[in-house]
Amino acid sequence: MNRSPSNTHGGPAPAIDIRCLRVDYGAFCAVDDLTLSVPPGEVFGLVGPNGAGKTSTFRVLTTLMEPTYGEVILDGVDVLEDLAGARQVMGYMPDLAPLPSDLKIGEFLEFHAAAYGLGSRQQRRERVAECLEEVALSELSQSWCKELSRGQMQRVVLAKTLLHRPRVLILDEPASGLDPLARRDLRNALRKLADGGATVFVSSHILSELAEMCSSLCVMNRGRLLASGSVDEVRSQLGSTERTLTATLLARQDEAAAWLQSQPAVHDVRLSGPQLVFGFSGSDEAQADLLEGLIHRGVRLRAFEEKRSSFEDILVEVAETNRRS
Amino acid sequence: MNSTPTPIRPTRHAAWAIWSNPIFRRYCQARLRLRGAGIALLLTLLIAGFIVAMSSTIGGRNQMDPADAARGGIIPLLVVQGLILFVLGTAQVAGGMTAERDEGVIDYQRLIPMSPLAKVLGYLFGLPVREYAMVGVTLPFTAWCLWRGQVGWDVWMPLYAVVLSSAWLYHFTGLLTGTVARNRRWAFLASIGLVFCLYTVIPQMAKFGLVFFKYLTITPVFEESLSGLLPKSAGAMVKAGQRLLPTVKFFNLDFSEAVFTGFSQGGLILTFVIMLCRKWRRAESHLLGKLWATGFFIWIQVLLLGNALPLIEPGNLFPSHGFAGVAQYMWDWKPNPGEAVAMSGIYGLVTLGLIFVLGGIITPSADHQLRGWRRARKQGATALPRLADAATAYGWVGVMALAGAAGWFLFTRALVESHWFPGHVVPLSTLVYFAAVMLSSGVGFQALLEAKGGRAVVLAGILVGVVPLMAGAVCSAVSGMLTTAMWVIGVSPLVLPFFAAGSLLSIADLPEAVVHTVPQAFYVWLGIGVVAMLWLSWRLWAARKAVAGNVLALPPALPANRP
Repeated sequence: MNRSPSNTHGGPAPAIDIRCLRVDYGAFCAVDDLTLSVPPGEVFGLVGPNGAGKTSTFRVLTTLMEPTYGEVILDGVDVLEDLAGARQVMGYMPDLAPLPSDLKIGEFLEFHAAAYGLGSRQQRRERVAECLEEVALSELSQSWCKELSRGQMQRVVLAKTLLHRPRVLILDEPASGLDPLARRDLRNALRKLADGGATVFVSSHILSELAEMCSSLCVMNRGRLLASGSVDEVRSQLGSTERTLTATLLARQDEAAAWLQSQPAVHDVRLSGPQLVFGFSGSDEAQADLLEGLIHRGVRLRAFEEKRSSFEDILVEVAETNRRS
Repeated sequence: MNSTPTPIRPTRHAAWAIWSNPIFRRYCQARLRLRGAGIALLLTLLIAGFIVAMSSTIGGRNQMDPADAARGGIIPLLVVQGLILFVLGTAQVAGGMTAERDEGVIDYQRLIPMSPLAKVLGYLFGLPVREYAMVGVTLPFTAWCLWRGQVGWDVWMPLYAVVLSSAWLYHFTGLLTGTVARNRRWAFLASIGLVFCLYTVIPQMAKFGLVFFKYLTITPVFEESLSGLLPKSAGAMVKAGQRLLPTVKFFNLDFSEAVFTGFSQGGLILTFVIMLCRKWRRAESHLLGKLWATGFFIWIQVLLLGNALPLIEPGNLFPSHGFAGVAQYMWDWKPNPGEAVAMSGIYGLVTLGLIFVLGGIITPSADHQLRGWRRARKQGATALPRLADAATAYGWVGVMALAGAAGWFLFTRALVESHWFPGHVVPLSTLVYFAAVMLSSGVGFQALLEAKGGRAVVLAGILVGVVPLMAGAVCSAVSGMLTTAMWVIGVSPLVLPFFAAGSLLSIADLPEAVVHTVPQAFYVWLGIGVVAMLWLSWRLWAARKAVAGNVLALPPALPANRP
């Protein structure tokens, strides 16, 4: 295994290091010059609408596909040069998590434990039991794979992914089809893995799902990286300062409305009884100044409310903008 | 959760240790459950028992010798075993492999740390494990028939060895189609089609001088063993007939049918193993590397020549010899010069077909080329390694074309200069024309494929390869248009080998109406073909130069602080 333990800055090397990754399918570019670093021990989310390039990125990361060009380092192992080494440090759970219909859960996991060469038969059984317990499916080890619900199948495949204790977990849409309870369990499981030192790279097209479980994330659309960082950083990188403000006044609503309309970053001012509802797209500082200005004009403010666009709205807006462009 | 991030160090699986191969054991578990396999095994048991009981009973009623009665069951049992292994087993292998892909679980298997060979062998023996068990159920009956029928081990052992090697050959065919085909329906159709071709169509080439192809079936060994498997009286008759037939000759060496069949099938099996291992190592890989494909092509040429040349002097190679049957010994049989010309043409066509197939396998797509250049840039190289998938296949196909022309020339010269056609010689200049035919069609095809892609080749194949044949056939049916028909048909590269043989060989006895037209059409179209090939080669060179230039001219993609 060709490993590069640290970067030139002296800090710990990123667990996942993607440089200038490009994936083409003929004339169609699925991933366009993606550069991304994920520090060790993070639960890192990759979010984007369908066709954003998430699965292509994951297939390159998991050695299942050769990119057009680029470089991918997983835990110090160059994925394109050392396939076997990369496969040893990484565990992959594909989208829709398929299971063979002709095996029982225990048999499926024992097959993979044997294929990974995890010690003696007894050791393999113990590890399988451990992993089944981790995904809370111990009682179903003798059930047929084909009899499981979608959520149970996801958990079985997660157990398979954990068998060889990978340092980097790559999970493609792991929460799809899970009920809220199962999602909570998955979130807790991923957090525990990260606490144990593993790096989890997880994708979803549902942002709220990722925001719940990830310490940081990135947003992709049409093969390009749009933003990355913490949830708030991503929100600001996407340029979404848009919010709806509601001011409830005791009197002089008309005068206040006229003044607001003359202010920069204010738009769509509407009067609704004692309330003034208007759009604002300035910074937090500008918003504070606006409020101060309103009070200085002698307006008696009874209440003030701010409503920001949801993350889903921002993503939809970004996707729509990209589509139009 | 108590997982730690230290990966467990895996123990490697030896490819040869089939019994401990996890993929094999996984299929044993799934396909040998009593609930699923029980009925199949019971049914096989009943059929095998019925066959043996019937042969013994009928033998007893006809007051046959007990040994003869027992022998009566051997061939029906062999047919049942063949059906199970060849038909059910192959379908199971192809279908099972595609099902893995359809279900999506194949990605898991790609990622498990087993060697590609261990994975291939796991699937090869695992997928049809129920079929092996079914054959296993029939074996005690076969053993009883062989023992009771006093069949010598030197008779049954080569036969069963070849049954097994043929089964592996067909299973590999199924495994390969299941691995390569994009959906289950195509995999099933392709595997059935390939096995059908391997078993029925391709061996027919043996009747036209390409004897090697019949050794891809169990037929030669079965025919050799037949006298020992039949009741003694019938066996003696067969044996008398067999004395009239030649043994397998490979150049000046004599082999038994079983040894040569094993040798021939072994080569093909090895090639299939290489193909599958490459696909398991990396899904985007070509089925064969450039060196292996070229070596495989030359190996086929050697086998074709090695089998064919020794049969020319005794006359066994000529189709009319086989069709004349026993009558040949009563009449003064001689081969027709026309069949020698046709055999030369067929040899050329089959060689060209092999170049198309192998050239198609090793030619990189535009994506492959781009990836190759990107990787070269990343590694600081300014050229691609010659053996890399992304490297051009132009030179390798050129080598195949020249080797094919040489094989074709040797075959043709041995035919024409044999004692059957006294006074005729094949001058060395014929080799130049044969090489021009192979290069113009083979290299032209490859250059077009590499420069313009598969669609352009299919379009060219239809417009230049097939349409002239159809148009020419229509013209030839119109009175007075035979000359035009020859000119039109001559456009097709598929006809060039026949036109070459008809134009260049002194034994060619063309009909009066086309005696001048065929050579004229041949020289004209060959000339145009060579010019087209040179133009396509230049286009390919320019296209590759442009790709390389574009990629290498880009600034370094990676920041300088790469670890």
